[in-house]
Amino acid sequence: MGRFVLRRVLQGILVVVVATLLIFLATFALGDPFASSGEKAVPPEIAAINRAKFGMDQPLPLQFLHYLGNLFTGDLGIDFDQRRPVTELIAATLPNTIRLSLVALVFLILIGVSAGVLAAVRRYSFWDALVTVITTIMIGIPTFVLGIFLVANVSGWGPFPPVPRSFTIEVPWYQDVLLPGLTLAVIESAFVARLMRGSMLEVMRADYVRTARAKGLPESTVITKHAMRNSLLPVVTFVGLTLGTYIGGAIITETIFQYNGTGYLLARAISTNNSPVIMAVVVYSVIAYVLLSMIVDVLYAYLDPRIRLS
Amino acid sequence: MNPPPPSTGPTTTAAGPAGTADTPAADAVATALPGVPSAGPVGRPQGPGQFREIWRRYRRNKLAMAGLVIVAFELVIAIISPFSTPYDPFEQNLLNTLQPPSAAHFFGTDVLGRDLYSGVVYGTRLAMIVGVSTVLFSLVLGLSLGALAGFKGGLWDAVIARIIDIFLAFPALVGAIVIVRATGNGVVPVVVALVALGWMTTARLMRGQVLALREAEYVEAARSIGAGTGRILRRHILPNAVAPVLVYSLTSIGVVVVAMASLSYLGVGVPPDVPEWGRLISTAAKYLSVDGVAHLWFFPSLAIMITTLGFAFVGDGLRDALDPKLRGGN
Repeated sequence: MGRFVLRRVLQGILVVVVATLLIFLATFALGDPFASSGEKAVPPEIAAINRAKFGMDQPLPLQFLHYLGNLFTGDLGIDFDQRRPVTELIAATLPNTIRLSLVALVFLILIGVSAGVLAAVRRYSFWDALVTVITTIMIGIPTFVLGIFLVANVSGWGPFPPVPRSFTIEVPWYQDVLLPGLTLAVIESAFVARLMRGSMLEVMRADYVRTARAKGLPESTVITKHAMRNSLLPVVTFVGLTLGTYIGGAIITETIFQYNGTGYLLARAISTNNSPVIMAVVVYSVIAYVLLSMIVDVLYAYLDPRIRLS
Repeated sequence: MNPPPPSTGPTTTAAGPAGTADTPAADAVATALPGVPSAGPVGRPQGPGQFREIWRRYRRNKLAMAGLVIVAFELVIAIISPFSTPYDPFEQNLLNTLQPPSAAHFFGTDVLGRDLYSGVVYGTRLAMIVGVSTVLFSLVLGLSLGALAGFKGGLWDAVIARIIDIFLAFPALVGAIVIVRATGNGVVPVVVALVALGWMTTARLMRGQVLALREAEYVEAARSIGAGTGRILRRHILPNAVAPVLVYSLTSIGVVVVAMASLSYLGVGVPPDVPEWGRLISTAAKYLSVDGVAHLWFFPSLAIMITTLGFAFVGDGLRDALDPKLRGGN
C-alpha cells in the first residue's frame, strides 16, 4: 500500500509540473506585455528596462524555475488590474468555492445514488422507466442552459437570492449556495444514477446477495448492507473526479449566478485579460484536480483489495 | 470461434480481457466490434451482409432512428444554411428590436433587430463544422497513439500513458481556455483546443482494444501462418478494434458542441458578433430580468439540447446494434 501511494504521489507531482510548464508557456511566453501596441509606442530601451525589472530578460527555463519556486512559497504574482497579490484574490474566493463544491457534492450523491438504487431495485417498473427517461434528457442539457433557466425563473423567489444580487441585502451563505449547488449537481447526478443502477444490477446477481437472501435477511438489509455498499466503487471514482472539477472552479455556473468563487474570478480575469490571475487559477485548478484524482485512486485501492495487492 | 462466421457474427465478442475491464467506460470497451467485417486471409466474404444486419437491428430502435433524423436534418441545415435563412444573420434592423416570435421572425429578433432564426441556423453550421472536425481529428490522433501504445507496449506504452495523464489533468473547460488564448480567437483555435483535450479517451479505448485483440486466437493464427506486424495491425486488429471507439466518438460530438458553446459563453473562441449558440445565450443572459425576451435564450438552448440528444441517441443505438448483448444495459 505504501509503495502504491508513493508511486501515485510521484506521478501526480510530475503531471502538475509538466502541466504548469505548458500553462506557463501558453500564458506568458507567447505574448510580450511590453511590446508596442496600436495605442502606444514603447521605446525599445524602456521595454528592456521593464523586462529586466520583471525578470523577463532571463532565459525561459530560468523564468519557469523561478515561477515554480514562487508557486511553492505561495507567491503567485501581482494582478495586472488592481495590483493586488493574486494569492489574496484566491484566498478570498476559495472558501466560497469549496463551500459550493461540498453542497453540490451532497446534492449529487443524494439525488444520484437514490435514483440509481430505486431504478435498480424496482427494475423494469414505472420508477425505473422514469429514471431512465429523465437521465437521458438530463445528459442532453448543458449546465449553463439549466443555470440560465433557474436564474430567469426561480432566483429572487422564496429563499433564493436574486441574480444579479443587490449588495444591500445580506444573504446567509446557505441560501447563496442553494441554486448554484443544485445546478452543478443535477446534471451530473444523471451520470451517477446510471452508473449506480448498472453496478447495482450487477451486484444483485452476485452469489453473496443470493446467500444473504437465503439466510432470511430482510430485503432492506440485503440492499443496504450487501448490495449498495459493494456497488458504490465506480460511483466513488466518478464522484471524486467531479468534485475535482467543482473545486477547480465551476466557471460557468459561478459566472451565471455571479457567485464569488474562483471560477467567477477566472471568468472576470479572462474578460479583462489579466494573465497572472488566469495563470494562477488554472494552475490551482490543475493541482486540485490531480490531488482529488490521487485521493480517489488511493481510496479505490483501499476499498478494493484486489487493486491494492496486485 | 474466430474469425466470426457470418451467422454467429453479432454475438461473437473479443472474449475475456476486454469484458473484464472495470473502468466506468467498461461498457464501451466491452462492445467488441463484431460489426466490422474482419477480413480474414480469404478477403471480405461477408461485408455487405454484416452491414445490412446492423442496419436492420438499428432500425428497430425508435430512439436511435429519431436521433438519426435529427442528425441528418442538422447536417442538411449546416450544408444549405447560406441559402436557406430568411434574413442575413448579421443584418441589424434597429426599428425592429426584441420582437417576440412571429410569422415574419420565427424565433423573434434580438437587441439589434437581427433575426434569431437565421442566427440559430447559422450557429448550426458552426456547431456541425466544429463538432465533426474535432471528433475526426481526435479520432486520428487517439487511434494512432492508442494503437501504438497497445501494440508496441514497453517504453512506448509508458510514455504515451504519461502524456495522457498530463492532458487528463486539465479540467476540460479550463484547459481549452488556456489553449484558445494562446492560439488566438477564431474557429480553428477552438477546434485545436478541443482536439488537444479530447483525444485521450479515444486513445485509452483503442489501447485497451488492441491489448485485448493482440492475444486473440485469430491474431495468433494469422501470426502463425507468417503474417507480418503491419499486416496483422491493418487487416486483423484495426478493423475489429475500431467499432467501439467510433461509437464513443459519435456520442462525443454532442459533448463537443456543448464545450464550444460553453467557451463562447465565456467570451473565448469565436468573435463576438458571430451568432454562435453559446454567444447567443450569453448575450441573452444580460436581459434575464426583462420580461418577454425569454425567446433570446430559449431557442439557442433548445438547439443545443436537441443536438446533444440526437448524437447521443445515434451513438447508443449504434452500440446496441453492433452488440445486441448489451441492449438495455447501462
